[in-house]
Amino acid sequence: MKLDGWWGSVPVSEPMLTARDIHRHFEGMHAVDGVSMEVMPGRITGLIGPNGAGKSTFMAVLAGTLPASSGSITFQGEDITRLPAYQRARRGLVRTFQLPSEFAQLTVLENLLVAAPDNRGETLLGALLGKRYWIADETRHVEEARSLLKRFGMSAKESDYAGSLSGGQKRLVEIMRALMLRPKLLLLDEPMSGVHPSIVNEIAGYLETLREDGLTIVMVEHELHIVERLCDPVVVMAQGKVIGQGGMHMLRKQPEIVEAYLVG
Amino acid sequence: MNTYYLANLLIFAGIDIIACLALNLQFGVSGIVNFSFIIFQAAGAYVAAVLSMPPDTAADYSFQIYVGGWQLPFPLPWIGGALAGALLAVPVGVVVLRRLRADYQAIALLVTSIIANTVINNARPLFNGAAGVALVPQPLQDQLNTNASSYQYFYIGLTAVCVAIVWFIAARIVNSPYGRTLRAMRENEIAVNALGKNPVALKMSIFIVGGAIAGLSGAILVGFLTVWAPSTWLYPETIILFAAVIVGGRGNNLGAILGALLVPVGFEEVTRLLGGLNIGPPNLIPALEWVCIGLFILGFLWFRPKGVVPETRRVFPGAASPVPDETRWVVGKRAG
Repeated sequence: MKLDGWWGSVPVSEPMLTARDIHRHFEGMHAVDGVSMEVMPGRITGLIGPNGAGKSTFMAVLAGTLPASSGSITFQGEDITRLPAYQRARRGLVRTFQLPSEFAQLTVLENLLVAAPDNRGETLLGALLGKRYWIADETRHVEEARSLLKRFGMSAKESDYAGSLSGGQKRLVEIMRALMLRPKLLLLDEPMSGVHPSIVNEIAGYLETLREDGLTIVMVEHELHIVERLCDPVVVMAQGKVIGQGGMHMLRKQPEIVEAYLVG
Repeated sequence: MNTYYLANLLIFAGIDIIACLALNLQFGVSGIVNFSFIIFQAAGAYVAAVLSMPPDTAADYSFQIYVGGWQLPFPLPWIGGALAGALLAVPVGVVVLRRLRADYQAIALLVTSIIANTVINNARPLFNGAAGVALVPQPLQDQLNTNASSYQYFYIGLTAVCVAIVWFIAARIVNSPYGRTLRAMRENEIAVNALGKNPVALKMSIFIVGGAIAGLSGAILVGFLTVWAPSTWLYPETIILFAAVIVGGRGNNLGAILGALLVPVGFEEVTRLLGGLNIGPPNLIPALEWVCIGLFILGFLWFRPKGVVPETRRVFPGAASPVPDETRWVVGKRAG
């Protein structure tokens, strides 16, 4: 069986991403200590754990924002361990950040357009050749961006500076910006962090529709009711290691996981 | 005000506008704090000089030592000056922009500027050391055979053509998707990287373009002054250009032009007039000039950080939302 979408045709039974024995050290401190993980297509894989568990560091290593100290990462059959972040993003492995990372002095629409790939005006030469050379690409991308804005209920904010948005709206901009790249695998680092509770369910609803579309997502999140609603499987990390994985209801039955994270 | 003074002022204004447009591309648009900007102008000036001068063995020129001396016809020395600025940007960019964080980049570039000035000051065989090069031929002066006054008008015209060309290039860059990506990089380099853009390539490309334009401004300057020495391109000269871009409005070409007219031209000329008052010791007025420039920068950063003409909001045709405040623009054109 295969999963079809903008990411092409992906066999459901084969992992889209495989991380093997990933280590990341910071001057003797083992932030990620031998983590292995497989990400299956068409699902939202949750990554949970207490503060300092190494979740965000692991996400940064997957995306290439931080290099791994050792270990290997395979994405759609290709070893990407040594690739820089921008080349991983071009292959479809796109991340968002734990802290808001909008381009504050650009409008919401511009934030989305920055992410659009293959614009002829995005090189120095293309820019110097003038508007006629790139306007067709630009018009197409503006249409794509506007359809995303409509889908996420943000059309009215198109011309606002991204820096002037609320926490939840900034999160949506980041997700839409990542979607402009037509990702094959989306890495979301705490998408509900700093978001007003009334918006959390709204964002969760959008993520649900993306899952229904067949998009593969890995999500770090602390809001456990959201993880329970969206994610299967869930991977639990503590002190840089994976201490369990499976469905949320199953994880709740494991005493060492309950003790490490789920209590309270 | 006599015409000689006015002509001088116009030529310097043109050169400062070109330099500020280049610095705006690097600093205002892309966020590269290029504290070594002046060395690219200097490189352009030296190379344009030695490309247009006769060999240092020639009569009247034997009192100085310099490399080159090819006596190339105009506009080759100016093109050479621009190329020199671009070529210098390659090694400087490779060393500074690839691995260092933005704040360290600024420090490294400042140090580069000081090192370059010290080296040229002491290495006499290159460009005649501290004394610098003199008697640089002015573009087409022999062919035109005009008097000094008419030639000045010709030079104003030449400078204006260069301003127009640089404005055209800067406008195309700023209003393109490439310019938008540069602005995004200025806002958040890590996020740009995560969206599939190579920040090193982006920074290198705009650093080289800025270097070329700075080199051209140096070539125009030396063609007018006919002399060029290390004392004319000390690192504080860069600070004046930064002040101009900050005061005018970072990220906005119009702001860079306004800043060039307000700070290096207007502000310096006004404070220069104070010299005629004969107050205090002889160095008091030049020192106060620097104090005023420093206060000017601080004042703007504190009270109007976006400058006199802030960066424009870009609204696309067919936008669903009303624009709440500030200037409205439709892809480079002012909307109602």
